[in-house]
Amino acid sequence: MASSLRTHTQTNSNTSAMNGTSASASDPKSQLSKKPRLHAPPQPLFITPSDVLFEFSHHLPSIARINNGSFGCCPSSVLSAQQQLQLQWLQQPDHFYFNQLQTRILQSRNIIKDMINADHVDEVSIVDNATTSAAIVLQQIAWGFAEGRFRPGDAAVMLHYAYGAVKKSVEAYVTRAGGYVIEVPLPFPVNSVDEIVQEFREALERGKQNGRRVRLAVIDHVTSMPSVVIPVKELVRICREEGVDRVFVDAAHGIGCVDVDMKQIGADFYTSNLHKWFFCPPSVAFLYCRRSTESSDLHHPVVSHEYGNGLAIESAWIGTRDYSAQLVVPKVLEFINRFEGGIDGIKKRNHEAVVDMGEMLVKAWGTHLGCPPEMCSSMVMVGLPACLGISSDQDTLKLRTYLRDKFGVEVPIYYRAPKDGEVGPVTGYARISYQVYNKVDDYYKFRDAIIQLVHNAFTCASLPT
Amino acid sequence: MEHEDPRNGESSHRSSKKPKISSKFILESEIRDEFSHHQPRVARINNGSFGSCPGSVLAAQRQWQLRFLRQPDTFYFNTLRNGIIASRKILKDFINADHVDEVSLVDNATTAAAIVLQQIGRSFAEGKFQKNDTVLMLHCAFQAVKKSIQAYVSRAGGSVIEVRLPFPVNSEEEIISEFKKSIEKGKSNLRKIRLAIIDHITSMPSVVIPVKELVRICRAEGIEQVFVDAAHAIGSVKVDVKEVGADFYVSNLHKWFFCPPSVAFLYCKKSNISSDVHHPVVSHEYGNGLPIESSWIGTRDYSSQLVVPAVLEFVNLFEGGIDGIMKRNHDEVVKMGNMLAESWGTNLGSPPEMCAAMIMVGLPSRLSLNNEDDAARLRSHLRDCYEVEVPIFYQVSKDGEEGVRDKDGFITGYVRISHQVYNTLEDYEKLRDAINRLVEDGKTCKMLCIE
Repeated sequence: MASSLRTHTQTNSNTSAMNGTSASASDPKSQLSKKPRLHAPPQPLFITPSDVLFEFSHHLPSIARINNGSFGCCPSSVLSAQQQLQLQWLQQPDHFYFNQLQTRILQSRNIIKDMINADHVDEVSIVDNATTSAAIVLQQIAWGFAEGRFRPGDAAVMLHYAYGAVKKSVEAYVTRAGGYVIEVPLPFPVNSVDEIVQEFREALERGKQNGRRVRLAVIDHVTSMPSVVIPVKELVRICREEGVDRVFVDAAHGIGCVDVDMKQIGADFYTSNLHKWFFCPPSVAFLYCRRSTESSDLHHPVVSHEYGNGLAIESAWIGTRDYSAQLVVPKVLEFINRFEGGIDGIKKRNHEAVVDMGEMLVKAWGTHLGCPPEMCSSMVMVGLPACLGISSDQDTLKLRTYLRDKFGVEVPIYYRAPKDGEVGPVTGYARISYQVYNKVDDYYKFRDAIIQLVHNAFTCASLPT
Repeated sequence: MEHEDPRNGESSHRSSKKPKISSKFILESEIRDEFSHHQPRVARINNGSFGSCPGSVLAAQRQWQLRFLRQPDTFYFNTLRNGIIASRKILKDFINADHVDEVSLVDNATTAAAIVLQQIGRSFAEGKFQKNDTVLMLHCAFQAVKKSIQAYVSRAGGSVIEVRLPFPVNSEEEIISEFKKSIEKGKSNLRKIRLAIIDHITSMPSVVIPVKELVRICRAEGIEQVFVDAAHAIGSVKVDVKEVGADFYVSNLHKWFFCPPSVAFLYCKKSNISSDVHHPVVSHEYGNGLPIESSWIGTRDYSSQLVVPAVLEFVNLFEGGIDGIMKRNHDEVVKMGNMLAESWGTNLGSPPEMCAAMIMVGLPSRLSLNNEDDAARLRSHLRDCYEVEVPIFYQVSKDGEEGVRDKDGFITGYVRISHQVYNTLEDYEKLRDAINRLVEDGKTCKMLCIE
């Protein structure tokens, strides 16, 4: 396997010479006394593999952790920083509340603003997660119906593969308020960006039938299950052409996974979790809201003292709680910048590695990837052998549990219903991920587990309910 | 993977391993140890705002957090749900609810208010309520709740009645009488009162309200829904939701019940309405009932909801458990209140039986506390220059009403002191001496410098 997979950190040829073997042997004093060495070895240019190992040493070692997409990960140096902040609160909460909290939240927001190329820090709010962002945006739509700005039957458009929680939120806030919901069916496996664009255009046409206005389009930047990178910039452009009022990009998997440039993408609302691919502890996300007349009418659903002072300020105090995950963004930046190329370098290497691993697996199993490499980020869908007999969502959960319990592999599995006329179709896909803590062995473990199951003529039908 | 007994929390919890040999109950030195993370020199007499959490519960919390970080998928599929149910069951028994389905865990009372008021807002939007149907609240309701009413009721076309309660207050009868008068006024315009929001213990100024009686009056007057905001209640006063008889009852667990920030329970009496309350952050469990919805609102740290068993172990180290703690806190805060009032020549804001673990003590009039800014200044000055943390209330004088006087003028400011298990006499002496010093030096609030 390419050596780039074992270490995705810069191999600094000076490192081994610098670490621990340099020259204080010539200084007898340092051997006898406890004084710090006067000539400490210079820090390696970039983080070393053993540093990375240490940073994620709290991960359960017996598990091949190839599901970074669901819950993310957080290095121990960031966790330590978080604990320090939690301690400061506990020591003297009033002082922290009056003198520290707001300044620190603003600092995090400013860093995010720069990273995502937003115009103004007012456009950047920090919330718990993308699920909360969806509630914020969709609640505004509900008010639109309740207050008569929208007519009953006006539409919201979302992808069929929109995240389950977001679909429920659309039901709770849009359908309930009288809106009409259109789902864009997307092909999977998918072969090109054009297939997605085509389906989207057709769905917008349906949306505009009967004189309906399309009030909101909800577009995933990277769908969850099955995971595919969506051409959001193109779809946003189409929305503008077709007179869609507002566009909300759900980029739960955005920052640290794909390129996140607000001005380039051009959406009205854009949210991304920071605990998935940006090394923050659970949980924290940003919600970007392009400045406009409507953006002043966005509110956090948990209303507190700051109601009416703008979403960013409202979100910075929603009652007593632990805000520490929102405050460690500066520390995360430090961590990321220890890697060659910073976050861009990490993204690139993650992508290349996950594609490598995906191709290794499909070769070993005789299956195929769910999309071309250019349509995936740091996750890719890998077809599972048809003989495993994955025939329902239930089966995917059972198989996932079986892989966890019997083989020490953690990977989410997607069921794809076969189309009429398909012969021996692949109905199950594993969504593998690659993050800085992964090793080639993680994927070998998975490869071998499936090979063993196939060898044993295992089928999902044999698993208990 | 393993299905651990949720009552244990996690394997390394200290008090489940070491039996107490030397003493039946927790020692003073052990209490100091449990709260050794509190900033040592600060006289921390504001437990009401942000609460407190002992070291052993924090340790239990860290264990839960670590388990999630170690293998989040296993945690999500096999551990989290049972842990939350275990906490809910403990609370159900504690508050005398009929069924665990009536008990949801949310972040804080602010979130609970949003849940209840969003439901009211929807009723207006969906035509179940008419324009100008009314919500009734106390004038001194918590600011966040007032904003929530603005966001969900006023915006949706509802009206609001504020009940002005007297302060200082001398008896429960004064409160009951004012409350009755306000309802009469509300009904005089033929408006229907859809919801009454009643604090169990008001925040500023802090007084224990006779909620059971007020809820009874609400029912007698045909008010459809009653929501008791008891942010300060659990661990501070007895909480019996069936006795109180409200439709909704919320209390924070991180204020007086030793949980880390933050967690609260929201009790919803089973009814037609209770099936239509939803968590505003909608996720996969939408429609499965509020407790289930609230137990998953996206990826986040749920650890503070999981330590309730560890908290129970902690409070049971004290003589009389939580009841003993409540009684001693009450007795001490009254004692300290009287000590301060006597030293300053001022008054208490309410009689002892109308306070729990907090009490309002009048500040000397010579400090000239004449507006909110003065109160904020004094509070900051006490924090920065005297290392005393105590919230301060500015009492707006009512037109035509004579306020309470001390020997120099009208008393316009009050401190809200609290007593929790970690407090010592020195904390209150520090406050006493600081105020006396300011008065001796002829300082008024406007003259105070802050860092």
